[in-house]
Amino acid sequence: MRVCPYCAHNNREGVLYCEECGQVLYSEQALVTATKKLQIGTGNLTTKSGWGTARFTHTATIILHVRDSQQSIEVKPQEETILGRYDGSSMSTPTVDLTPFGAYENGVSRIHAAIRRGEDTLTLVDLGSVNGTHLNGQRLIPNQPRVLRDGDEVRLGKLVCHIYFKTN
Amino acid sequence: MADLYAVLGVPPNAAEEDIRRAYRTAARRLHPDLNTHPGAATQFREITSAHETLSDPVARANYDVKRRSAGPERQYFSLRVTPSSRTLQTLSEPQVLYLLLELTPDRSIDRRQTTAPLNLTLIIDRSTSMNGPRLERTKIAAHQIIDQLGPNDVLSVVIFSDRAEILIKAMPLADKAFAKTLITTMQASGGTEIFQGLLMGWEQNLVYQSPNFINHMILITDGRTYGDEAQCIALADKAAAAGVGMSVMGIGDEWNDQFVDQLAGRTGGTSQYISSPNAVVRFLNDKVKTLGQSLAERVTLSIAPDPDIKIESAFRLIPSAQPLVTENDPIPLGQMQNGQSISVLLQLQLPALTQPGFRSVARMVAGGDIFWDQRRRYEAIADTSVEVLPRPPEEEPPLAILDALGKLTLYRMQQKAAEAASAGEIREATRRLEALATRLLAAGQEELANAAMAEARRISSTNSLSEEGQKALKYGTRMLLLAGPTKDS
Repeated sequence: MRVCPYCAHNNREGVLYCEECGQVLYSEQALVTATKKLQIGTGNLTTKSGWGTARFTHTATIILHVRDSQQSIEVKPQEETILGRYDGSSMSTPTVDLTPFGAYENGVSRIHAAIRRGEDTLTLVDLGSVNGTHLNGQRLIPNQPRVLRDGDEVRLGKLVCHIYFKTN
Repeated sequence: MADLYAVLGVPPNAAEEDIRRAYRTAARRLHPDLNTHPGAATQFREITSAHETLSDPVARANYDVKRRSAGPERQYFSLRVTPSSRTLQTLSEPQVLYLLLELTPDRSIDRRQTTAPLNLTLIIDRSTSMNGPRLERTKIAAHQIIDQLGPNDVLSVVIFSDRAEILIKAMPLADKAFAKTLITTMQASGGTEIFQGLLMGWEQNLVYQSPNFINHMILITDGRTYGDEAQCIALADKAAAAGVGMSVMGIGDEWNDQFVDQLAGRTGGTSQYISSPNAVVRFLNDKVKTLGQSLAERVTLSIAPDPDIKIESAFRLIPSAQPLVTENDPIPLGQMQNGQSISVLLQLQLPALTQPGFRSVARMVAGGDIFWDQRRRYEAIADTSVEVLPRPPEEEPPLAILDALGKLTLYRMQQKAAEAASAGEIREATRRLEALATRLLAAGQEELANAAMAEARRISSTNSLSEEGQKALKYGTRMLLLAGPTKDS
């Protein structure tokens, strides 16, 4: 089985383009951009472009760090971890309540997005939030899961946070 | 006369025992009791009849004499099969394997030899909606076709609305000016009943139908037919069995593309979307021009995968992109032009593979009639197998497959979106269209990507696709396949 790195669809072995979203599956090199050495001006600058690992083992946890805050949240992801804002009047409670981080001011919906657990990966899904969810600057289409990687930037409304994987 | 030794895959000096063993092995794979693929039945018959001759010492001796006196067989074309991977992993779940089939004309064949007389039937829709530029352009195209045809070519023209009539009876074109005058008199009126037209066209085509002609029917329509699709498809199957190709030019946006694909896919013809009436002339001219230069006619492909393997899809990439219908065997591929290959991409699903070692995948037979050399049913056979290993070496899939499949994927995504839309799954269709737009943009197809986005917006607000946009996407993504290998994808 091959998990699509773009949409997390489970493709059968041997499939070369994801049957769900058309992503190329055949080569690892095509998915991860190599470290590039750039020669700019006088000094040698080494930049690492590319993504962190998408592999998320069973014992791992997520560190969620909201920008400009002192604290970070550590979550042991369930089947579905809901990110949102708890307000006393609503019926449902999010798994991770972002109210202490200025969720209301930044336009986070009560049920905003979810992190879902796959076989060996995590995916991020927008649950039809009012102000949208962005993954690394790209707006997610509601209910269309995207693979989460170590170090990804997630924006819920105007609230920016970073996701890190912590393996024990 | 097919080479019986090649059919069984044994050398001409093979011992009786080897022939028996080769037959046994093939029968175990292809016996219709064990193998439900239609291709297996066709090929099993061929193998059995070869074995009957070769296993009987007297019959074999007779055959050997005939074979020797006929001299070495001339090569007309060859069949090459490239799998997406030569080694597969032992795996407890099904996996997918792609096969790229290439039928290539032999280099030794001279281009000038390959012209053959045409038996062409034009079936023209003259329903009310064709009135105006559509019918006028079709007339001009028909005039140009008449100019192109030679003295040995046979032309018949049938026009139809809700009933059909013969405009030009099937005969060698003696008086071109008169034929053109008849075309000019065509008037638009009535509804669209394609079967009426096809049936009469078929009858006209029958008059001169013979293996010495390239027999072809071209349907030009701009509308949907109501209720007689099944009859049309039955007629297409009859035409395919007789070796008659059927091509369809759809003008405008209202015609039923799935139906038209069936007609063309079953007969080895092509279907084409013509958005503006002006393009009719060029498309028809090209079609007729290529029809005349054929190296092999009635090219067919028989596919017999092993019993435990499933054919998931078959798609002809070259000379014109067309999804193939695999429920009948052999599959008509149309004609092979000199200097141009025919290529087909197959997607197979293999079962769980537990045993390491070599295993057979599919036996394929491509056949065709070579007119100019009076050679009936020339055949090229290919038998593909792969090696199954617990830990296969890293292998890059062949570029030709990657390139073709990359473009085919876009076509498929479009197809899935259209299916979801017609099933009323609006959210699903929107999602698929958006994903398609992303991929099209990445492939540098901005215009098509915009069309996909426009359709995505449209469907989320109106719950349906526009006929125009859907056809533009379908035939647009299909055209990408013809563009040839791209440098950066």
